[in-house]
Amino acid sequence: MAKKSKPVFGGGSDIRGVDLVEVERLLAFMQKHGLEEFEYETSSIHIRLKKASAQSTGPVQVIPASEVSALPATASTESTAAARSSPAGATDDLHLIKSPIVGTFYAAPSPGADPFVVRGGRVDVGQVLCIIEAMKLMNEIESDVAGEIAQVYVENGSPVEYGQPLFGIRPQGKK
Amino acid sequence: MFRKILVANRGEIALRVLSACKELDIRTVAVYSEADRHALHVRFADEAICIGPPRSSESYLNIPQVISAAEVANVDGIHPGYGFLSENANFAEVCEASHITFIGPSPELIRMMGEKDRARTEMAAAGLPIIPGSDGVVPDEAAAKKVAAEIGLPLMIKAAEGGGGRGMRVVRTKRELIPAFQTARTEAEQAFGSPHVYMEKLIERPRHIEFQVLGDRHGNVIHLGERECSLQRRHQKVLEESPSMALDAATRERIGCKVVQALSKVGYSNAGTVEFLRDDSGKLYFIEMNARVQVEHPVTEMVTQVDIVKAQIRVAAGERLEDAVGSFQPRGHAIECRINAEDPDTFVPSPGRITAFRVPGGPGIRVDTAAYADAVIPPYYDSLIAKLVAHGRDRAEAIARMHGALDGFVVEGIKTTIPLHKRILAEPDFIAGKFDTHFLERLTPVEAR
Repeated sequence: MAKKSKPVFGGGSDIRGVDLVEVERLLAFMQKHGLEEFEYETSSIHIRLKKASAQSTGPVQVIPASEVSALPATASTESTAAARSSPAGATDDLHLIKSPIVGTFYAAPSPGADPFVVRGGRVDVGQVLCIIEAMKLMNEIESDVAGEIAQVYVENGSPVEYGQPLFGIRPQGKK
Repeated sequence: MFRKILVANRGEIALRVLSACKELDIRTVAVYSEADRHALHVRFADEAICIGPPRSSESYLNIPQVISAAEVANVDGIHPGYGFLSENANFAEVCEASHITFIGPSPELIRMMGEKDRARTEMAAAGLPIIPGSDGVVPDEAAAKKVAAEIGLPLMIKAAEGGGGRGMRVVRTKRELIPAFQTARTEAEQAFGSPHVYMEKLIERPRHIEFQVLGDRHGNVIHLGERECSLQRRHQKVLEESPSMALDAATRERIGCKVVQALSKVGYSNAGTVEFLRDDSGKLYFIEMNARVQVEHPVTEMVTQVDIVKAQIRVAAGERLEDAVGSFQPRGHAIECRINAEDPDTFVPSPGRITAFRVPGGPGIRVDTAAYADAVIPPYYDSLIAKLVAHGRDRAEAIARMHGALDGFVVEGIKTTIPLHKRILAEPDFIAGKFDTHFLERLTPVEAR
């Protein structure tokens, strides 16, 4: 059986490899700065401390590395919604065009025609970027910014849901 | 049988439908608003499609989005649950036009039962007793006396064009009739511009009794017994049970037969609930019908062992009742407590993050819920977070089991109505089965401002 990972902090009494003296110091730190919640992670340990309030019983949660596989590897455990709406490769300066409806994404006005826009191409406000077909109706999706198409996130003919990112545009001046 | 069903709903009823589909080996599609991204029905369905922002009108009630999701996912059936689009005849028609089976009654029947006046007229014509009243406007004093003699006292005089308590008078003695008639007319004219009034028998301490029905597409209709739903607050049911202590076997048989006959006559199919008010003398009067599955269906499921949601799917797929339901024997007594995310004294909604959640179990206990520890109860939808159902060999055992279950139901981080249910179950009148639709008002006189 594999050895449990070493405690992060040395000395003092500990539970499951965590030095309680260190935890107390973290709590004092929280108190000093008026923090409600504090989260701390290294490769071997993940600590989340939440102040008890009128509504919650907020116990101290200490999760040693051996159990950390249950948690996502990212520093914040509460941003899964944000993570889902930011597709892989999204950078902070891209303006995302998201689908306002459920339907099927078409990159061109008709089969065989040239696509409305391509990566690297420039677009203006109001310019049609794609068509989303819903219930046999073709809905034109327009850009709400001017700039350069940096990313196209969906393939022609694939289904899209509400809020799904379609294009990433690097906002720039008009054409 | 269906290949794939889209559940056009959320919360505990979406989970309920998902599990019925799973048992029938049908693939499932969930739809969700952005507020429900972490909801269990999204997690447990085979596929999930986001259909809009948090507001119901832009998501769960958005017919084009729901239908578009159904087309994109290529489903052959849609189950609407309860609330939302479940009694929207237009939605049922759009499903049909899109060649997707709507798992519920036909659009025509949804429409019929949705227009309450029309439902009363049709059901009266089909043989169900309705609350005695004047046939429309009462034109003069002579007519008022005649109607009063027919329907008896006490009675209500109501403004035909109005509401809100104005132009309404209660008449308890013959002497009061004509003065009340005249005053009501005057008030109605002043408030609504028309002196027209109608009259209706007043049921002072009504009990709300409803019959669960199921119909197939071959003209067969059955009933699965009744539920007593008299414990209501502001017309919202709080606690339901079956069977009703106010019905004897003969009445149950008689009314059940009438219900089945009336619904066969109008060609009803799929699930539905026929609602009655019962007066002090024991007479039942039809008030309305809900053409869908109801929140409190588990009460009937526990007593009859019939899976109503699976039956809905099976009859919608064309099966006959004898196959979809088979034979059944009601056994014992069941009670359901609706646990809401509300302050148990003021009933102010309490949305937020649940920090601890432990559901009771043991013999005869069933919990239908989509809540879980760390879940956030959003403020956009209704406040029901769990249905706690207790079944026992008799009512006493059901009550005892419910007591234990309520004690063992831990929800922290938000307020719930669990304490209210504990109070109800300890009330001597409740235990004795002596209550009517005003019971809960009397128990909770201090309301939220």
